[in-house]
Amino acid sequence: MDLSLLLGLGRFVLATTLLLLLTVPTAFVVIQLELKVIALMQLRLGPNRVGPRGLFQSTIHGFKVLAKEDTVPDQADRATFTLAPWMVYMAAAMSMLVIPFAPGFVAADFNIGVVYFFAILGLSVVGLLVAGWSSYNKYSLLGGLRSAAQMVSYEIPLTLSVVGVVILTGSLNFTQIINHQLAHGWNVWWQLLGFPIFFIAATAEINRAPFDLVEADSEIVAGPFTEYSGMRFGFFFFAEYVALFIMSAILVTLFFGGYLAPWPFPAQLSGFIGTLYGLIWFFAKTYFFIFVAIWMRTTLPRIRVDQLMGVAWKVLLPLSLINLFGTAIAVVAFKL
Amino acid sequence: MTAVDPETRIPDPIDLDRAEEARLRAAAGLGPPAPAPGSEYAGFELVGVPDRPPQTEREREMYTLEEGEMLLNMGPQHPSTHGVMRLVVKLRGEVVTDLDPVLGYLHRGIEKLCENATYTTVLTYVDPMDYLASMHNEHAPAIAFEKLFGIQAPRRAEYIRALVVELNRVFSHGLMVGFLALDMGGLTPILYSFINRDDVVELLASISGQRMLFNFFRVGGVNWDVNDEFLSRLGKWHGTVLKSIGDNEKLITENEIFKGRTQGMGILSGEQAISYGVTGPNLRASGVPFDVRKAHPYSIYNELEFDVVTQQRGDVYARYLQRIAELKQSLHLIDQIMDKMPHGPVQAQVPGIIRPKPGRAYGAVESPRGLYSVYAISDGGPTPYRFRMRDPSFITLQVMPLLMPGHLIADTMAIMASLDPVMGGVDK
Repeated sequence: MDLSLLLGLGRFVLATTLLLLLTVPTAFVVIQLELKVIALMQLRLGPNRVGPRGLFQSTIHGFKVLAKEDTVPDQADRATFTLAPWMVYMAAAMSMLVIPFAPGFVAADFNIGVVYFFAILGLSVVGLLVAGWSSYNKYSLLGGLRSAAQMVSYEIPLTLSVVGVVILTGSLNFTQIINHQLAHGWNVWWQLLGFPIFFIAATAEINRAPFDLVEADSEIVAGPFTEYSGMRFGFFFFAEYVALFIMSAILVTLFFGGYLAPWPFPAQLSGFIGTLYGLIWFFAKTYFFIFVAIWMRTTLPRIRVDQLMGVAWKVLLPLSLINLFGTAIAVVAFKL
Repeated sequence: MTAVDPETRIPDPIDLDRAEEARLRAAAGLGPPAPAPGSEYAGFELVGVPDRPPQTEREREMYTLEEGEMLLNMGPQHPSTHGVMRLVVKLRGEVVTDLDPVLGYLHRGIEKLCENATYTTVLTYVDPMDYLASMHNEHAPAIAFEKLFGIQAPRRAEYIRALVVELNRVFSHGLMVGFLALDMGGLTPILYSFINRDDVVELLASISGQRMLFNFFRVGGVNWDVNDEFLSRLGKWHGTVLKSIGDNEKLITENEIFKGRTQGMGILSGEQAISYGVTGPNLRASGVPFDVRKAHPYSIYNELEFDVVTQQRGDVYARYLQRIAELKQSLHLIDQIMDKMPHGPVQAQVPGIIRPKPGRAYGAVESPRGLYSVYAISDGGPTPYRFRMRDPSFITLQVMPLLMPGHLIADTMAIMASLDPVMGGVDK
């Protein structure tokens, strides 16, 4: 076999394994952040017992779900019930593959990265629907159907708002999108309508407040996760926070220059220093938007299911079409 | 594993009931009971359907499913049914078409307990009824018994009563605001409400010794006079309460999502509210200016100045605004009470065991949930012959089937939270 092909394959396997391993600490960090930020906003202390300043609370949560009894309802469809958390988790974890963390620091630099990302992320709705359907529980069923309706509806404005960026940058490759922003400034300045659409639709797509209808605890207990326990529930829980991280990362990549610093100097950093510099900026921006999502969760009440659909189809879809055509016309007219 | 001997195994009460039913049916010459219609679908037992044939027309209507309908059992263990309340809702998609509230999961027989207790000890039993308004729970029997005995509480005691009762109302209304937001997915207001509640219960604990079940009222007065700790805590709390209410108001009053979900939802008209016997903030939110404190003044309320606030729309949002407005009225009342409180004793002379003359008495107060009243009958013995409590939550719950059908599941929770029932009072 050709050596370069073997090397490429080896690099791919290594990168995917590393990313899969990265998802767990990422989830821990995001959960810990959420616990602490919500506590801060609700005038509480938050977790402060496990480890220094309660730093290991979410880690302990993670190990706790491992130790819990794993139950399957009597009349559940055992095969799909077992498969569902895996599907949701893998959808979240695999979409991490195309995120450029720093210059040259990307697991798979596809030339159709954007398409791959949204295709894979869209798979998680299948997992949620399967979970809701196979649990043999009415709350799960309602939650599963809600997730299908919600995520499919919001995928349309989400993808359309990204098409604006794609037209602007002329590429489906995340690295090239970032390089374009190095030359022309952050995309958010050129996509003043596209960014809010993407932000709202992305929040709905990952079932975060105020669009957390899928697991609306005051209405349908825990939605599709109602019958899950132990590590299976843990997978859903992790997938949710990994999805939050990924959505923030993609938002940063598409609109806020990814790993680029907000100012153009130092222009050319290479090697280890450049990677580190990129990583710092990437994580700083990403965690800023995670913070915004947590902030929204503490502030806003939940939207109702008919209002949710109304926002998607009556407001976001027309606006994203306007944004798409406006961008296309501007690109052609001004040769951007 | 060892097999359990069927003789020593403790039998399940349901099995006993079924065995008893089978025995009775056999004795009467009847066959085994027929399965309830509609209780089985595709071989699976439907959860929530009563395990017996329907007893009434209404039950038959409720539990007969048409094509595309589904029964959903919410409660008694559900994240947001306000205690152990059970709702069987009939759904078409996510729209509630019919519902059947099932009560009684918290029944403790408090009326009967009170009928077996001496008059002075009755006041300790009524605390856990409406556990967010324990002071009001004690106030109504105190009024009724004082009428029965023909004694009068000292004026300072009446002022202290009004003070603690208004403090209780402040935290009860505050919690309603928080729970309404919580049932609509807003996580933060309930925390702010509980901070305020904690201040108030510490305040009340410093005067009564208890944080929740105060046991503060006595027939013919109150247990203790105000003390230094109470006064210093009251002053400190008074400085922060408006801010803590304001924090909640800033979060939800003008929030577009909150308004979009509450305005025009679950509208209860004034006529409907009156005909169902709804009282309290829910009635006033429908535009009927009835307040027991104004309509039938008790204690010292005729000496105090306050407005009977009303809202016009009668929807969930109006009921929310009503709570906020009444809360501010209560703060205004507390100011006046502290200003006017006279000196004197706080307890009238009452013998240890009292045998009132045969007769009947009625005491009514305005609790945070409405007209809370006690009707006591004496037969001359040391205990009440009959002790009847009218709990406003129980009456308020009757309008649920009027308000909820046609709305979505999410809205049923908001409507229920806006009615602010407390199951401890509903089930007694």
